Amino acid sequence: MDHGKITITVKSFATFRDVMDAKIRMDLPSGSTISSLLDELVNRYPGLSDLIFTSPGILRSYVNILKNGRNIYFLDNLETLVEEGDVITLFPPLAGG
Amino acid sequence: MDGYAGNMIYADLSAGKISIRPTPPELKKKYIGGRGFGIRLLTDMVDPGIEPLSEENVIIYAAGPLTGTGIPLGSRYEVSTISPLTGTVTSANSGGVFGWKMKKAGFDAVVITGRSKKPVYLFLDNGKAEIRDAAHLWGKTTGQTTDAIMEELGDISVRVSCIGPAGEKLVRFACIINEKARAAGRGGIGAVMGSKNLKAIAARGDRPIQVADEERLSIIKERVRKKIQENGIEKALHDYGTAVLVNIVNENYILPTRNFQSAHFKNAENISGETIAKTILKRPKGCYACIVQCGRVHEFDGETGEGPEYEPDWAFGPDCGIDDLKAITRANNICNEYGLDAISAPATIACLMEMAEKGYVNHPIRFGDVEGMLNLVKQIGDREGIGDELAEGSYRFADKYQHPECSMSVKKQELPAYDPRGLQGHGLAYATSVRGGDHVYAYLVSPEVLGAPEKLDPYMTKGKPQWVKTFQDLTASIDATGMCLFTSFALDAQDYSDLLTATTGIPMDPAELLKIGERIWNLQKLYNIKLGFGREEDTLPARFLTEPLQEGAPTGEVWKRDEMLDEYYAVRGWDVNGTPTEAKLKELGLV
Repeated sequence: MDHGKITITVKSFATFRDVMDAKIRMDLPSGSTISSLLDELVNRYPGLSDLIFTSPGILRSYVNILKNGRNIYFLDNLETLVEEGDVITLFPPLAGG
Repeated sequence: MDGYAGNMIYADLSAGKISIRPTPPELKKKYIGGRGFGIRLLTDMVDPGIEPLSEENVIIYAAGPLTGTGIPLGSRYEVSTISPLTGTVTSANSGGVFGWKMKKAGFDAVVITGRSKKPVYLFLDNGKAEIRDAAHLWGKTTGQTTDAIMEELGDISVRVSCIGPAGEKLVRFACIINEKARAAGRGGIGAVMGSKNLKAIAARGDRPIQVADEERLSIIKERVRKKIQENGIEKALHDYGTAVLVNIVNENYILPTRNFQSAHFKNAENISGETIAKTILKRPKGCYACIVQCGRVHEFDGETGEGPEYEPDWAFGPDCGIDDLKAITRANNICNEYGLDAISAPATIACLMEMAEKGYVNHPIRFGDVEGMLNLVKQIGDREGIGDELAEGSYRFADKYQHPECSMSVKKQELPAYDPRGLQGHGLAYATSVRGGDHVYAYLVSPEVLGAPEKLDPYMTKGKPQWVKTFQDLTASIDATGMCLFTSFALDAQDYSDLLTATTGIPMDPAELLKIGERIWNLQKLYNIKLGFGREEDTLPARFLTEPLQEGAPTGEVWKRDEMLDEYYAVRGWDVNGTPTEAKLKELGLV
């Protein structure tokens, strides 16, 4: 095990799939946060930036990011730590009934 | 010139007579239309305790003042009756085009009483109405009925709201279908229609729908259009349909699986909105004046139809342990043709699946059995074999075999597609809904999962009773206006108030709008109390209170009734038994 590195899965849904892969495994430095993960994703998929952020560091309304099924809003938001084996899911604004 | 058509039909099917009366101003002022009209008239006309499938029941179709005015998503109509499934007063909402046509025909509402001696249909024709023979239509599917009526009347502009074989055979969760695939779905209203030998209502007309302030309304329409179009939420509905919810609900570990035995489905992606979009979708489709177009037209293997929506997609899918999208779509098509509630039918099948696997019922069906599931849908619609027992609903079925705990229902109406153990507020909405297991009367999924209008922690109970009340009251008032509930992701009470003021000429503000919604809600509650529904019935199946979820983020969670119910009654101004107090009734003008 590389103590400086973690491996996670990122899944995207709906219109996010227009600009990024539906499922990826990624290596990140240990101690990464959701914020640094999103920076990495935006580097990889430039089209994602406008869909996720209204301005740097500010998530668009109704974008939902889950860490293992829990909305990061109820954890530490963008400062939520990303850990080995995490499944991070990204949802654009959605509605239904 | 107030958005209303101006008249209502009273159809006495026993006497075979129709009368037309002006829409009363007092009804418009205090109840707006739609569900408000239906509930007020129903509770005035029907004594509590009547048998819902007897001729003493009444059905009320009602559009709202905003229906058909060209306001974006202003297309809806409501149908109200006493439910043969729950025994409560019920009201179901449908879209498509029929509501607009009813108003173009000159009518705000149709009040149906008695029972015809032989099958008939009502024809609303440009200010007039007649009762026509329907013997030749009896036995036909909803699609065949619609085509036959249009051909008989020689007019493709006619629109039809009808029942299929399921309604004729009094399946307790039979529904009403318009335009072959839009449903006034819940509560078994189709069976009530069938019990009256009423096969359909057809409507045509070219009467203008006039509003009070055309200029002002134009400006507000534009504002509302912009809000809906610029709201990112509505785009996903257009692109992926309501089944876009499959993945987010599953990733939150609250997608009910195998009759709510668990809440995460391994192959959810196979039946998701994203998969529909890249496999069976032909094109989106919308209701009258809709700019969202959340409907799906599908095509595969030479077949075409509409759907599946999220609820039947889930119910025939994960709830039955099935991940075959084509089979799910076919099952939903059968429900449309037969006129079956596409939540209650599959949820009842899922109940049988659990009971069969546990040996409570001797039947070969198991979770994941696609062919078995498809056969059962038809058997239910035809009331054949075990289908005759299942047609009574999951609660009566499970109770018959001494295992009522296997029915995932509230007040005997089957629960929809969200596990309440991971959604405290939505669970409270389920438990306290005045029409039984239901997700639309207060869609707490919106804040608790989707984060709209703001993010609420789904595992917390604090503050949820007030949220549930607000959603219930606002939804009741929206259902009275004729607007589609999906506008509520983008619009607020001020928007609806402004639309109403410009349309009707009667000043409306958010406080009054919510009060009208609260009035409607309390009226439904009062009637249910007279039927014997009380605190005991405001709950969920024991599974949700005693069996914690086992997977993902909500592991360990149960639904926490005791932390919310008393506070809910208190914010409602009801006593500890859930009965509206005298003071509350006075405040709402109900004494």
